[in-house]
Amino acid sequence: MADEKKSKQRHRSMVFESMYPVLALMLILVACVELCDAATVVDVYRLIQYDISGVPFGSRFSSLNHHAASLSFQRGADLSRSVLILPLRELDIGFVQDYISQKQSLGGLLILLPQMFRPGNIGGGELISETEGFRKLLAQLEKLLVHGNIVFPVYFAFENEETDAMLADVKKNDALGQQATATTGGYKLVISVSEPKKIASPTITNIQGWLPGSRADGDSNQLPTIAVVASYDTFGAAPALSVGSDSNGSGVVALLEVARLFSILYSNPKTRGRYNLLFALTSGGPYNYEGTQKWLKSLDQRMRESIDYAICLNSVGSWDNELLVHVSKPPENAYIKQIFEGFSNVAEDLGFQVALKHKKINISNSRVAWEHEQFSRLRVTAATVSELLTPPELLENAGSLSDTRQLVNEDAIIKGIKLVAESLARHIYGHQGKDIKIFADDSSLAVNPFYVRSWLDLLSQTPRVAPFLSKNEPLIMALKKELEDYTAEVSVQHESLDGSFTFYDSTKASLNIYQVASVTFDLLLLLVLGSYLIVLFSFLVITTRGLDDLISLFRRPPSRKVKMA
Amino acid sequence: MTLFHFFNCAILTFGPHAVYYSATPLSEYDTLGTSVKAAVVYLATALVKLVCLATFLQVSETEVFDPYQEALKAMIGFIDVAGLYYALAQLTHRNISQNHKFQAVGLGWAFADSVLHRLAPLWVGARGLEFTWDYVLQGLEANANLVFTISLAALGSLMWLRKNKPKTLIPIIYTCAVIIATMPSITSYLRRVMGWHFPKVVGFELLTSLVMAFISCQLFILCQRPSL
Repeated sequence: MADEKKSKQRHRSMVFESMYPVLALMLILVACVELCDAATVVDVYRLIQYDISGVPFGSRFSSLNHHAASLSFQRGADLSRSVLILPLRELDIGFVQDYISQKQSLGGLLILLPQMFRPGNIGGGELISETEGFRKLLAQLEKLLVHGNIVFPVYFAFENEETDAMLADVKKNDALGQQATATTGGYKLVISVSEPKKIASPTITNIQGWLPGSRADGDSNQLPTIAVVASYDTFGAAPALSVGSDSNGSGVVALLEVARLFSILYSNPKTRGRYNLLFALTSGGPYNYEGTQKWLKSLDQRMRESIDYAICLNSVGSWDNELLVHVSKPPENAYIKQIFEGFSNVAEDLGFQVALKHKKINISNSRVAWEHEQFSRLRVTAATVSELLTPPELLENAGSLSDTRQLVNEDAIIKGIKLVAESLARHIYGHQGKDIKIFADDSSLAVNPFYVRSWLDLLSQTPRVAPFLSKNEPLIMALKKELEDYTAEVSVQHESLDGSFTFYDSTKASLNIYQVASVTFDLLLLLVLGSYLIVLFSFLVITTRGLDDLISLFRRPPSRKVKMA
Repeated sequence: MTLFHFFNCAILTFGPHAVYYSATPLSEYDTLGTSVKAAVVYLATALVKLVCLATFLQVSETEVFDPYQEALKAMIGFIDVAGLYYALAQLTHRNISQNHKFQAVGLGWAFADSVLHRLAPLWVGARGLEFTWDYVLQGLEANANLVFTISLAALGSLMWLRKNKPKTLIPIIYTCAVIIATMPSITSYLRRVMGWHFPKVVGFELLTSLVMAFISCQLFILCQRPSL
């Protein structure tokens, strides 16, 4: 009997031993199961992070793992381990300013924007006065954030039902005075991305299209050239949202339409003018028009000298009655007079006004306010057609968050196109002062509103911050192809951005919102379960073995000792 | 601290089985072998059920309650009963009394069911940061399931292992067994047609499990009297 038992035990231990490696393997496999489920996942867009000559700006961090807090927190509460959720509707600029200027520690900032600012949102349903108010507030906020050095992550997100529900919950909890920490539950916001890295050698890409004019027989001189230029890249607080519909999507659309109209005219040798046309889509606009400068310098000297004048287009999408022509040469200059007269004649015919504004170039100041100044610095006559009254500051008005499709009026762009095209045509074909409409509506040369609308819609959904555009970005390829359709020669020039600007990547992320239970809840649940199991145990012992057995479990039987003795 | 939550839900789901084993005389008589055999039979039954479901059932796109599909599912559910019969009647067990045999078989069956159906979702889901009540409710459901299985095993042992039963009680035994066996269909009917939420369904399950346990206990006691 004893031998049998021993062999059985040995057999059993052998079986168990052989199972150990299998068990270990199973444990390893099981531990590797990744858990990444969250009830809510929201797309968020990070504030831009950049340096100018080593001075840091923008938000310097990107990853986030803190509890959510709202504005209803108690005064004096410690927010250094919380993410503050600020809807734009309830924003208090002074509060944000305090936090940034006093460098108070905050776990993170999440700004909720109304849905109307979403690229691709046609809109409607919001009051115009409300929209205006939001735009102004947003512009103020952007200015503050872009020019500040912020030591916590700042993200933008769009309001939706889930964020609204979460915010309402968080506000309720905060109002009760419970700060969300590890022991009191609440919501946890997690963005897990790697630390932002510098973008090595960002490139700016200029695209130029060349439409040659017709040379008269026996004429060996170089034909004069007229250039139409627009910068297509943007800069804004959130690079992934920086679509710049007006600045400068409207300019790009206008340039493309003018190119299309003139390509129709120039395709027929009988109507080809005696001027060459040069269309350029430049990059690096917000950074003192660096792309334009590099493009001009790369042009052949003779070509540059043959440029009669250049028209730069900057923000022509949201004006009503007056368009401005900005120049840097004095208005008494004969060329400027000629250009402006051409514009005002056409404008009169079309039913609006143009005004001339002169701003001298300050050579000692490196700030280039308008694109035409880059031309003027190289002694080429140029003017900028724009709706803006004053020149934009550095890194401003170049595609902010509030610059969405709704801000742009197609009719304004069409009027601008007609102005530029008609005045160019009258100059090229020598019809100055005459009452001729070359690009009349209902003619084969009419401005195509559908073309304008479709390109405007496309540009309003494509963020175009230059350092984040690769050399073969689809948008650049599309623009190049478009110009190839309308011009004879297209060349693409890649340059690297000036060394004084440094940008950091990580512009878009996914925010995971978890609803977490506190540790106290878990402890409570453990207590309840423990007592339940104990009750169950006692109940079962009592019903199956009797109450005596239960009591005997806890009392050492004294009879054994007596027996031993 | 979500491993904590996983631990809590795990002891809620699997604790009662261990407690049942240690509290009742099952541990004294060392009926672990019977429970293990019952668990293996359950695994085989689950496999057969899966194959049958895959062969005969059409997958519907929506959550519509189709009576024919549900009837088919109920019939396949009776394979469960067949498996239980095999575990109770056909397998040779050590010399244990009727009383303990059905308990051990029921326990092993319910434990295998819990592990198979609830361990994987628990491991994957309860460890995440997000907190839901789902896993606690699942644990409560496992408890109700344990009671159901033991009642079904009791009624099964009455039906198949006891030869002399009072004639009047036989129909009651069979109806109770049928109710317990079709419990899954009833709960799915409640969830889809009546639109009950998970907590309500779990509450209903707990209640009916207690009622059924009481009834089967009474039946067992009543049937025990003649053999004495």
